[in-house]
Formats: sequence, C-alpha cells, structure tokens
Amino acid sequence: MAIPKRKREENENLETDATPRKLRAQAPDEESANEPEIQTPSRRERGQIAPIAATPKSILKKPGIFNDAIVSTPKSTRKLVFETPSKSTNGTPAIVRNADRSARRKSNRRLLELTINGVGSDEEDLGEEDALAEQILSDEEERTGINVAIPEEPTVPDTPSKRGRGRPKGSGKNQKLRKQRSPTPPQELPPHEEYFWQNRPGGTKTSNNTLSSQNLLNHDEYFQAMQSYTERHEPEMDLLVELHSRAYDQWLFELEEGFNLCLYGYGSKRPITDAFTKHIYERYLTLSPYKGTRKTPKIIVINGYAPNTSLKDILAMIASIVIPTNKKVPNQPLALLNSILNHLTETPPPLPVPVVINSIDSPYLRKSPTPSMLATLAAHSHIKLISTADTPNFPLLWDIGLRTQSKFLFHDATTFAPYDAEIDTVETVNELLGRSGRRIGGRDGIGFVLRSLPENARSLFRILVTEQLALLFMDNANDFDDAPATPKNKKVAATKNVPADTVQGVEYRVLYHKAVEEFVCSSEVGFRTLLKEFHDHQMIESRKDAMGTERLWVPFRQEELESLAEDLSSDMM
Amino acid sequence: MEHEKCYIYAPPESNSEERPSKRVRTSKLQSQPQLTERLSTYREVWAQQEERIQQTLENADSVTQENIVKFVAASTTSEGEPQASIPTGLIVAGPSIASHGLFFSRLGQNIRSETDSAYAVLTSGECPNLKTLLKCLVKKITSLKDDGDEHDDLINSGFSARNGPKLLDFDLGHVQMWQDKNETQSIVVAIQDSEAFDTAVLVELVDTVHSWLDRLPFILLFGIATSAENFEDRMSGKSLRYLDGQKFDVTQSDVIIEKLFSVTVANADARLRIGPTLSHRLLDRQKDHVQNVQDFVDGLKYAHMSHFYASYPSIFLRKGSTYTDLPSEAFEAVRNLPSFRRWIETLLQDGNASEVRTLLQSDQSLHEEIAKHIKLGQTALTSLSQAAILFHNIRESLQISPPFRLSTIWTRAAAGDLSGSPLYRETMLSLKKASSDKLKQLLISMERLNMEGSSIDWAKFNQNLLKLVQNSDGSGPLRSQDDVRNDSVRTTVIAQKVLLSKHKAALSEQDKAYSELVAQLHDEIDRYMTSAFIDPQAMFLSEIFMYDLKSPHVEVFQPKPRFAIERALATPHDYLGCSCCDRNRTEEEGVLAATQPATAILYQLFLESGTLINASDLWSAFEAIVEEGSEESDPKTSALIQRALAELRYLGLVKPSRKKTDHIAKIMWKGL
Repeated sequence: MAIPKRKREENENLETDATPRKLRAQAPDEESANEPEIQTPSRRERGQIAPIAATPKSILKKPGIFNDAIVSTPKSTRKLVFETPSKSTNGTPAIVRNADRSARRKSNRRLLELTINGVGSDEEDLGEEDALAEQILSDEEERTGINVAIPEEPTVPDTPSKRGRGRPKGSGKNQKLRKQRSPTPPQELPPHEEYFWQNRPGGTKTSNNTLSSQNLLNHDEYFQAMQSYTERHEPEMDLLVELHSRAYDQWLFELEEGFNLCLYGYGSKRPITDAFTKHIYERYLTLSPYKGTRKTPKIIVINGYAPNTSLKDILAMIASIVIPTNKKVPNQPLALLNSILNHLTETPPPLPVPVVINSIDSPYLRKSPTPSMLATLAAHSHIKLISTADTPNFPLLWDIGLRTQSKFLFHDATTFAPYDAEIDTVETVNELLGRSGRRIGGRDGIGFVLRSLPENARSLFRILVTEQLALLFMDNANDFDDAPATPKNKKVAATKNVPADTVQGVEYRVLYHKAVEEFVCSSEVGFRTLLKEFHDHQMIESRKDAMGTERLWVPFRQEELESLAEDLSSDMM
Repeated sequence: MEHEKCYIYAPPESNSEERPSKRVRTSKLQSQPQLTERLSTYREVWAQQEERIQQTLENADSVTQENIVKFVAASTTSEGEPQASIPTGLIVAGPSIASHGLFFSRLGQNIRSETDSAYAVLTSGECPNLKTLLKCLVKKITSLKDDGDEHDDLINSGFSARNGPKLLDFDLGHVQMWQDKNETQSIVVAIQDSEAFDTAVLVELVDTVHSWLDRLPFILLFGIATSAENFEDRMSGKSLRYLDGQKFDVTQSDVIIEKLFSVTVANADARLRIGPTLSHRLLDRQKDHVQNVQDFVDGLKYAHMSHFYASYPSIFLRKGSTYTDLPSEAFEAVRNLPSFRRWIETLLQDGNASEVRTLLQSDQSLHEEIAKHIKLGQTALTSLSQAAILFHNIRESLQISPPFRLSTIWTRAAAGDLSGSPLYRETMLSLKKASSDKLKQLLISMERLNMEGSSIDWAKFNQNLLKLVQNSDGSGPLRSQDDVRNDSVRTTVIAQKVLLSKHKAALSEQDKAYSELVAQLHDEIDRYMTSAFIDPQAMFLSEIFMYDLKSPHVEVFQPKPRFAIERALATPHDYLGCSCCDRNRTEEEGVLAATQPATAILYQLFLESGTLINASDLWSAFEAIVEEGSEESDPKTSALIQRALAELRYLGLVKPSRKKTDHIAKIMWKGL
C-alpha cells in the first residue's frame, strides 16, 4: 500500500505543476503568466484529497474554448499517454513526429486565437493557412492531444521552461487528466462508426490506476450517505409519475379490452405499478362482486427482481387465489399452470385476475420455460398481466409467437426513480469491480469462517492463497525485472498485463494435487467437500476458462491476498 | 413488501390518502366527457368488425381443417388389424410461426368435437429430449379427461402393485392404462414446430410411437414451416418407413391478412375506417416483421380503441344520437378540428358568410351539418373502397403484371394518390387494349361482384359483348383498335432515309363495333373511378370517420425501449424538463451539467470511453464534475457513483472485466 501512496503524492505535485503550464501553453493571449501561480496553492491543498477532481475543475470554470475539451474527457482515457515517449525513444520517427507536432501546435494555436479573438470571424477569413492548420490537426487526430495533452518534455527541446518542469512518465492520474482535455477523438460519429472506432485494435488503452478500497462504501456507509442525500430533481420526477398517472384510466381500458401491459423506460417503475395497483384496487372495489361487501379484491404482485423468484412461486401464488383451497393442486409448474388455466376457463371469476410483475425481464425470470409459460398465462382472457421491464433489450425475451400470445401493449414509463429495491447497489458494484471478496467482510470475515472450520480446510485455503499469489508473482515477474527503468516500466507492464491476467486462478487439478501432497485430503470427494464449504461462504470463486479447465480463486486483490497469506501462515505456525 | 417475491396487494391503511385520489378522478372524468357513450359505440363498431374477422378466419382454413379431421377419422377406422405404419399428417403451415399455435388449437377443437380422439400438442420448448417429450405427452393425454387428482394417483401410487414394478412417469404404459379406461378411437399427437425439434428426438419419437402402435392407436401430425421435402430429408430412411404420410397445405397468413384487410378496412360498410398511413404501417409490419394474423387483428382493435377513447368528436359516430344528447362541448370540439377550419375557409371563399356564422354560433345547425357530412363521408369512403375493389378486379381479370394486392391499391387510393398515377393510367390503357375473351372474363367477374355503388350496367355490356362475339365469324377473339396487334409498322426508304410509320390495320366491322364497346366501357369506368378516388383526408370531418394517427399505435406495438433508456440517460432534460439540465439553454454546448442525475452523468462519461473502462478514472471524472467547488470528497458522491455504476450494470451496459484490475467492459453502444 505504501508504494502506491507515495506515487500518488508525487502525482499530485506533478499535477499542480502541470496544470498552469498547460493553461499557459494553450491560451497565451488570455492567461497572464502569474495567474496559474495564484491558483496553484489552493489546488495543491485540495489535491491531497481528491487529486483528480482538481484539475478538470479549473477547466470547467473557464468559459468558452475549454469546454469543448471537457466534453471529450473520458474518451481520452483510451489513449495512454506514456506510450508516446516510448515511441519517441525509438529514434528517427520521433523527430518526424516532433516536427509534425510543432506544426500542429502552431496550427492549433492559430485556431485557438481565431476562436478566441472572434468567433464570428467568418469563413472567408479562414484562408489557406487555416485550412492547412485544420488538416494537420485532423491528420493525426488524437495521436497526442493538442499541445495540452502531450507529455512533450522529452521531445520538445526548444522550450527550456517546459523541460525544467518535466515529470517522469507513468504518473498515471494526472496524465490521464491531461488526456481528458484533448478534444482529439473524432466527435459526432454515427453510432456504428463509433463502435468500430472504440473497438479498433489497440484502441483500448487505459491507465493503470486502481481504485483504493477506501473509496468504495460498504452497506452501512452507503445507506448513511444516501439517507442524507436529497434528489435534486425530486419535483420533476414527481411530475413524471403524475403524468403517467393520467394514463391509468387508459391502461385500465386497455386491460379490459384483453390486452396486457408492459411498461419500460429508465428508472424504477415500482412507484407506478404501486399506484396503478391501487388504482385497480379502487376500481374493483366499485364493481359488482366487491361493491358493498367486505370482500376485497386480490391483486397479485410479483417482484421479479427479488433473488430466486421462480415461476413456481408465481404460479403457486396465483393458484392460491384462483383455485379454491379445498382443491388439490399439482406440484409441477407446467401441471399447475394447466390446472390454473383450466380452472379459469371452467369457472371464470367475475372479474379478471390482475397480476402485476415488476421486472419481468429479471435474470430469475429469463430462463427457458418461464417466459413461454408466462406468455401462456397472459394469453388467458381472465388474467391481466401488468409488467415492467428494466433492461433496454427486453423484447428479445420473446419471439413473435410468445409476443403475440402475451398481447402486450408497451408504454414508456420513464420515472428516473432510483432502483432501490431492484438493485443491491453495494453488492453489484463490488461484483462489477471484481471485489466480491468484500461481501464476506474481507479478511476478518474469512478469518472468522476459517476459525470455525477444521484444520484441513484452513490448510487448503492457505494452499489456494499461496498458489494464487505465486501465479500473480509469476505474471508480474517480467514487469519487475526492469522495474528501475521507470519511464518504460509502465508501458511494459501495460502490455504484459493483458496476457497475464487472462490466466487467473489456480487450476482445479493443480490445487487438488497440492492438497493431496500436503495430506490435506486423501480423495477428491474430501477435496470437494472442503471446497464446498468455501463456496458456501463465498470465499472462493470458480470458473471454466477458455480451455475448459476449471479454475478456482479467492476473490481478493494482491495486497489483500498477501496479508491474508501472512495471517494464515502465522495461524498455522 | 418490496423485497418479497410475491404478495397480495393490500392498500395502504391511512384514510387521509384516499381523498386526493378521489379528487383526481373527478377531474379526470371531466377531461373525458361522455367516455362511456363513446366506449359503447366502440364496442358496437368493433363487435361488428370482430364478427367479420372471425368469419374470415374460420373460412380461411376451414377446408384444410376439415381435410385433416377427415384424415384423422379415416385413419381410425382400420382398427383391429395391426398397422404397419403410423398415419401421419404433414401440415405445411408456412413460415408465420406465430399463427401456428392458433391453428393447432383450433384443429384440436375440431378433432375433439368431430372424432372420438385424444389430442395433444407438443412444442419444441417443452420437449428438449425424448424423456421430457414422453413425460409431457403422458401428462397431456392422461389429464385430458380425468381430473387432476386421478391423474396424480395414476402417476404416483396406483397400479404399481398390480402391474409389478412401478411405471416411470415417462412410460407410455400410463397412456395405455388410460386408453384401456377411456377407449378413444385414436390418440392424435401434434408436433407444432417440427423444425425446432432436435432431429434425433423426432426420430426416437417415431420409433417409440411405432413400437407402441400395436397397443395404442397413434396418429402423428407434424407442423412444418418450410416444406414437406425438407422434413423428409431430416428423417432417417428407417423412420420414414414407419410413417404413412399425407400432406396438407394451410392457407398462408399473408393471404389471410389480405382477406382480413378487405373485410375490415376496405369493407364497403364500415363506420370507422383506418386511414392510409396507419394501414400502410400495419401491413408493412406484417410483411417485414411478424406475419401474424392475431397481431394484425390486435392492431386494428387498438386503432379502434384509440379513436373512440381519445377523440371526443368520435361521439358523433354513435347511432341515433340526437342533438339533445350532446353537450355543447362536443360541438366545440368539432369546431376545433382542422378539417372544420378548412371547410369554413372554403365556405368563406365562396362567400357564404351567413352560413359560416350560423355554423359557428348555432350548435343545432352544426349538428345537422355534422350528421349530413358524416354520412357523406362514409358514402364517399364506401364508393372509394368499391372503386378500389373494382380496380383490383380489373387488374386481376386482365392479368396485368405486376399483380398488386387490394390492400396496396386501397391504401394508395385512400391516400388520394391513385387517380392520375402511372398505375391508374397503365390499368386503364390495358383495359382499352383488352381483347374480347379477356373482357368477357372481366365482365363476368364484375357481375359477380355485384357492386351497388357504381352506375355501370355490367349486364348490358356483357350482353352486347356476347352478341358481338356470336356475330363474329373469325376464329380469334375480337380486338379493339388500341390493341398493339392491330398496329403495323411500315418501313419506307426514301432517298436513302428510312421512315418508320405506324399504321392501323384495317378493322373489320366486328372489331370496330367491339372497339366502340370497349371505349364506352373505358369511359364509364374512368368516370366512375375519378369520381370515387377522392382524397378522403381533405373532406370535412375526416378526423371522425377515419382514424389515421400513428402516434400511440407505433409506440404501443413497436416500442423502442433501448432508445428510450438511452435518451433518458443521454439527455435527461428531455424527460425531466427541468431548468437546470437543459443543454440547449446553456451556451456552453456539450458541457456535462453537474445538475443532471448521477446515472446520466456517468452514462455520458461511459459513452465517451472505449471498450475497456478504468473504473478509477471514471470515478475521478465523475467526482470532477459533481464536486465542482467542494473541497473534499463527499461520501455522498461516492454513494452516487456507486449507485450509478450499479444501475449501468443492472441495465446491462457494462460488465466486469478480467483484463485489468478495476476495469469494466462496455457491452452496449448507443444508437446501435
């Protein structure tokens, strides 16, 4: 942990250094030379906490020209800045590029002047020179950003002032920031072009920055933070829901006419389904079998997003309402569905049975028989299906047959409401970033589990952790070989990382043999049993790689693994 | 409640909440005046249409269905003697798989009602392998006439003691026991989508069924979307020998839809018509995407629903509504129609100021005019439809290529661009050129059509033609003067120049008389068509008797959920309409406003990045935008980023990547 931290501090310093230079370089006419100096101290202060936040902010404040640059910010992440110097060291091409670059800078400056001095300057003013300038600019595209974006120091000897401030390469964060400003990647591409642009070979170069674990909130912190947060767009969101609520009567009419509803759009649609369910409920209360009696209408609400919602749950719930309790219902989903439908046909209820399904496209309801059986259910005239779908591609769930069967009418019900119930935010993010190890409470959690397990299990876990670490070291070995050659190092690491990371985890066979060697277990059955315990506690993950061999790993990153290994071996010894 | 899998809705208990909702409802009722009347009109109109649709549908494949039922009935007669092969029906149902389900369920009803057979449909979804297929089959057949309980007993407990070892639930022995009890004539197993089945499963099924054939009277029906040859190729020679097949062709859905179109939209007697734009869309969708009768019907129904639900003036389509029934708002609504304004303007141009004044002021006189014009419009549309049918008929009987469908002709006519179009001219020219034998067919088919609206006396023409033909002594048919075959080209060489000149061949007496007849017919038809092919949208009150809005229809049937989500995230202002996030208003074009919802900001950052995204950099970029001005990183910001990230993941825009640490992979591109 210590090393990266130092690096970051370094970066911060560099960054504060870097920013003013850029400003000066970019708009010499506008900026007085000392202005950046005034800004620097304050920024440095802030840089300690959120180093990255600082730089672009200063640009945000600037009106006019810089804004264009900001739009493209993330795009720039794609180009790794430190690749430039490495190429320039190759020799001759550097000079050519250099010449190019200075031409580019010139042209760029000229363009900037033009835009600053008179945006209104008409096209006739744009003479040949400007055309040329533009051409040069567009030629090399984002190869290196406009003068702002390039780490020019090594290649630009003509400006000594810049050279003095030169920073070592590989200071990831601020380089990335600088890149953010480069307006270089082509803008306004048609979607397909953009796809190919972003997928071009070698196009995905990103920095090696990692997110410190402190940044990620755990459940408690997350909910605490969210509690104090008030949505800025609360009134607008309320208005959206209100707008949708005006359609309730229309939706009811559509339901009455034998269609089913499917609501889509961004934002949780639970507020709408809740309100609409209430609407149906009240409407039903005014209709014949319920009017004037104490009976209440029964509306089934299904939360498809709830983990492990199954078709059986849904059908059982429907059956409990539709089929009288004294009748025996079959257990199998298909048979159950048939008996529900038969019953509905034979003894139709006075009013159709409304079934509300939140997130009909949830992973739990996507698997093969479920959509078709839901469609069969929906096709029955005495079932009214009101469903919501969250993902953008949900219509792919149904082929034409199913779609016709389910008789869906689709309505855009964008709410912008947070998916509070649908998503377990913290868990999802951890999983997204490959830190699902945090789920069991990190190292402490693992220690806790291990203490309750027999010694064999502990040994197995230790073997797994050490093996995994050994693999990691092997991967990184090449990177560390030429570690002292700092400027090149990062680039090498970046290229080497790719093949290294693809073989992640310990092979099942290898682990088994190791375990047998160390007398942790004597048979594969025993081995499996031990592993199962880990699986149950989500301490390990397994996957089949491209070759079909099963690989196991502990879902932690290197530093955590190291300390874990330390703990384990100290426990053992 | 929100984390439960399923529950039964219970209203929130507080009574205070009920009041505002009630108030909302009354205000809504005001915004939908006379909704119940309109809806009842809708039901009336739709019931009429639906009846026609049902009739057409039943007629459409009734012949095929009858044939299949007959085949089933015939196959059962040979009882007693052991059969060498399984009677098999190959039902070539065409590529519109969506309507197959309907077809087979109807077929099932027919088979069950007309023969004493058990009927079970199997689809590929239920039968991934032979075991599940048999299980499914056993369940479907045995539960047909028994109650569920008995069936359960049958499977679970009974018979095991009597028959020795307990039968597994995929053993056809269950069916045999059931057959012993019920003694049906035959057991019909329909394979709805044979193409989707694994070939091995089909082969095994045939083998199994064949081996049981001495005990169970099976009949197989295969639904085939491609061709019977294709089906044959897939089966092995051995299993083919077990099958005794007969092929049945089902009417293809596009033919049915064409029929449906002519009975619903282009029908001579329809109170509400679907306009050209919408019908064009409906038909295109059928052609390009769905090919599905049910979907077409749904589309029509929704169009009717929307018209009566959303358009107040549709109240005037109600039969027998008198002036006193209608509130003044109804007339006010009519006065706001664009076609009313156009009409008034033309009236003013004609100088009928006083009439305009009464129309604007007196509801009663307006009511009369409305009643008159609706009738006028409906008759105009009726004659338009008839003319379209006639036009179609001319093309068909004269065999003019390319063949145009009635639906195409009707939509063009209703859009008002048929008269004067090349298509129209071509058709009329071919009519002029028609020889007597073709003309005869045309006249006969016209007489059969028996159109009321047209003033043309087909019978008279037919008689005259007959007379002419009888008088003619030549062997060939009579030709009109415009026929190309009566032209001859003469080449003359004068002073080394070639002159081409056309000459009419000398016409015989009969031919002359015939030409006259044709010319007369042509003129009459032309006159009739030009009077009938008007632009209905230009008519007063066309909004009432014709529904041609594509707005709710398209969104409801062809939603673009992905576009909606992308739009919501890329330009949240479009939905929120807030003052803070309007991109157009801030002069700094393209700045990511920090005021936007967190997910929207993150999404826009996401859009700009490449396939692989460094989460840490994304994080810092986000912080840079949101935390503008604040000194330290706020846990709130972290929470927001986390939530936004989780939402992107939930929407399926990103996924974890193992390529690099703390990187996520982009899996969806905007606008693709």
